[in-house]
Amino acid sequence: MAREHLLKVGVSGVRGVIGGFLTPGLAASFAQAFGTYVGQGPVVLGRDTRTSGPMLTHAVNCGLLAAGCEVIDLGVMPTPTIQIYVAHRKARGGIALTASHNPPEYNALKLFNHEGLFFNQYERSELLDLFHQSQFTQAGNEEIRTVKPDFTTAPALHFERVLRHVDADRIRSRRFRVALDGVNGAGSAMSVEFLSTVLATRLEAIAVDPTQVFPRIAEPRPDTLTDLAALVRRTGADIGFGQDPDGDRLAVCDENGTVLDNDDVLALAVERALAYTPGDVVVNLTTSATIDDIAARHGRRVHRTPVGEANVVDRMQAVRAAIGGEGSSGGIIFPAVHLCRDSYTAMALLLDLMAETGQTVSALVAGLPRYSRLAGKVPFEHGRLGTLMQNLEASFPDAQTNRTDGLKLLWEGRWLHIRSSNTEPLLRLAVEARTPGEAQSLFDAAWRRLTG
Amino acid sequence: MNKALRISHVGLRGIVGQGLTATHVLEFAAAFGTFLEPGRPVVLGRDPRLSGHMIREGVLASLLGCGHDVIDLGVVSTPVVQHAIQRLDAAGGIAISASHNTIDWNALRFFGPSGIYLNTAEAGELLDIYHLRRFRFAPWDQLGKLTVTTEAIDAYLDGLARVFDLPRLRPLRVVVDCCNGASALILRRMNERFGCGFILINERVDGRTVAHTPNTSASIVELQLAPLMQPLRADAGFLFDMDADRVALADELGRGVSEEMVLPLLADSLLPASPGKLIIANLSSTALLEDVAARHGGRVLRVPVGRQAAIDALSTYRPEQIALAGEGTGAVMMPQFRFVYDGIASMLAILHTICDRGQPLSRILAGYPRHHILKAEVPLTSPRIPALLEELQELFPDGELDRSDGLRIAWPDRWFHVRVSQTEPIIRVIAEQRDSEPRELFETLLDRVRRWN
Repeated sequence: MAREHLLKVGVSGVRGVIGGFLTPGLAASFAQAFGTYVGQGPVVLGRDTRTSGPMLTHAVNCGLLAAGCEVIDLGVMPTPTIQIYVAHRKARGGIALTASHNPPEYNALKLFNHEGLFFNQYERSELLDLFHQSQFTQAGNEEIRTVKPDFTTAPALHFERVLRHVDADRIRSRRFRVALDGVNGAGSAMSVEFLSTVLATRLEAIAVDPTQVFPRIAEPRPDTLTDLAALVRRTGADIGFGQDPDGDRLAVCDENGTVLDNDDVLALAVERALAYTPGDVVVNLTTSATIDDIAARHGRRVHRTPVGEANVVDRMQAVRAAIGGEGSSGGIIFPAVHLCRDSYTAMALLLDLMAETGQTVSALVAGLPRYSRLAGKVPFEHGRLGTLMQNLEASFPDAQTNRTDGLKLLWEGRWLHIRSSNTEPLLRLAVEARTPGEAQSLFDAAWRRLTG
Repeated sequence: MNKALRISHVGLRGIVGQGLTATHVLEFAAAFGTFLEPGRPVVLGRDPRLSGHMIREGVLASLLGCGHDVIDLGVVSTPVVQHAIQRLDAAGGIAISASHNTIDWNALRFFGPSGIYLNTAEAGELLDIYHLRRFRFAPWDQLGKLTVTTEAIDAYLDGLARVFDLPRLRPLRVVVDCCNGASALILRRMNERFGCGFILINERVDGRTVAHTPNTSASIVELQLAPLMQPLRADAGFLFDMDADRVALADELGRGVSEEMVLPLLADSLLPASPGKLIIANLSSTALLEDVAARHGGRVLRVPVGRQAAIDALSTYRPEQIALAGEGTGAVMMPQFRFVYDGIASMLAILHTICDRGQPLSRILAGYPRHHILKAEVPLTSPRIPALLEELQELFPDGELDRSDGLRIAWPDRWFHVRVSQTEPIIRVIAEQRDSEPRELFETLLDRVRRWN
């Protein structure tokens, strides 16, 4: 029987539904475990615009203060901005209260180390042990510090980092017409400032009121960005940007009002980055082969990791990658700015590419290597994953296999990938081939074997 | 044994970090959030202890998480929290304060509507919810909102100014030892607004250090406040604990006045206006109360020791039947303030008495019959306390007997009380006598008690 994931305490932190599952007590204990792990000193805290953000802020403050940490509260702030601030401030670590693209009843604690990077797997399991052992640092009266608010300095810091890597004057001089859907998220006010003031675009923005609830499904995808597409068409915008609630992911709409495949957005950013930045590319196993073709053009390697931002970031750090990302989930990671998924860097790189080439978004996409992709979800029971993978592998004996995250089968010019979702009792199936027909027949063949 | 954590009908109390942790705070506040009816806001305030920052965050998280709007008053005295609950028509409130305990302690104190401490039945309900840990958290779209206000002290001072003629106190030279607590903020503001001219000492409020143990015992007054009285030519001196619910005093000659005297002094000034009414006091408080009550045709109701017994007794009477309630620790509740332990209100009432009589404090005190009290603590080692009390009762068959809290036997000119402390593993022995020390009685009692232990 499939169950709803009302609460998940695991290596990626704590995520759950507000109202009895992700409770203030649980958040405080996890924060105190975090404070115990990173040690007494400043810890940066920020949140997205979820209604549970203020309540959880108090809970996390309590846990951090109890561990003897000082809290620097950034208030409502995008996740990448928090990460950049942690590194800049030389803090002990950081916590973002955001369930990213999950529905509004969810919230979560995202954890960063002193460099503003997601905890790696060793840090994560160490923290989880501390949490379960409940052996926390318990500060006495004299060791208890205070919460210091800083709601203003982080955005400018973030913008300054991003602008070092694009020709801002060239972007400004083009006076692009830009459409924005901020999902009333953490980036709402900051994105308006970035696009209209910093980059001097002519901005048409919707859903940029952080006091309101999410007006659409929070994950920015073609099917959730119909309002943005309409806005682009109505205003004749050159490009449309759709953010998620914590401002790390970005979806893009071309000048015709067509929302791009997130793999193509990543491909454009990779194209742009590799032209100026030395280094390889890191993407997850489900990301398009377009990336391999582009990297090959620049004489660079592509490293593939299991799905999950932390996995991509870990590998990027290890190979000193120039750029990375996860195709389908949207968002790019450009370490020259910061080793984190960042919608602001993505917006700047795309606008810079448009300014430099003078091409429209649709023309830029047309210049990418063409592949067709299909994805689907199969409900399954956890115990059956191994059998399903073995059957699938046996039915395609001619394929190259990769078992680092589920099963990936590769042929020249096409691949298929199945893996169990980290967040839902689902099997995710993705296929890619050079033509729609080839992709469809590969998808159907796999689907029959998984559901038959 | 270092009891660093106590969870009881009185609330949650402990040494922060050693016994009292964030988890206790969050769970106890969630229990209170579950206990309270939804709909009206909850008032929050804290004394200056640094640990109050951490505890405040935990209390806020749980109350907001249970769907209650919270009005945070910041650093205030406990009486200010109680006053605000009543003024804002709140569902209840929490004061974060360990009051007279040392700086490393902290506590949560819970109040119901109108700012009264929870009675024993309500506190029992709260404890059950805490132990069950089935808290009623609100869904994501029904969470509470926080309002931070800085007006609570002014509103409280407005309330005091309606009862007391504050400008009338200006000619008095009054020294106040704030013990680095919340009273400093209130009295500073009272000086600004009403020109009271109180001379404040130990008025730095940083929550980290206190000049001396923040309790209102006579020995602290003798040591800290009394020596300043003559050099400063003060008419009266007062000393508060951290959250200003208790008060102690010194006279103009530089003598510490027993904390036992606060209740009789106030009874003497309030009873004339409310003849025949009740004074609620505990079994260990001075018999001078009976003398004062007799003077004005009032009556003393003796209840077991501890705040809870006084609160329970109060709730069984109509407010207009009661003139005053309190304990021998300098914690006194007056009907004008809806029965809130309020050290600052007690101080103002005593200053008014000085003005009304036109006499120095020492002369007013000299006008009372002199009762001599002897107190001792014997470590509790025997479980056979009932047998001990039985033996003492047989030894003194002629007195007036009260067995509601240990054993108290009273004669017209003397009484004694032997009981087990609720907070420490000790037996308390107290004997009091008019005009001379009850040395012989006291030694007999101690001898018997020690023999059983």
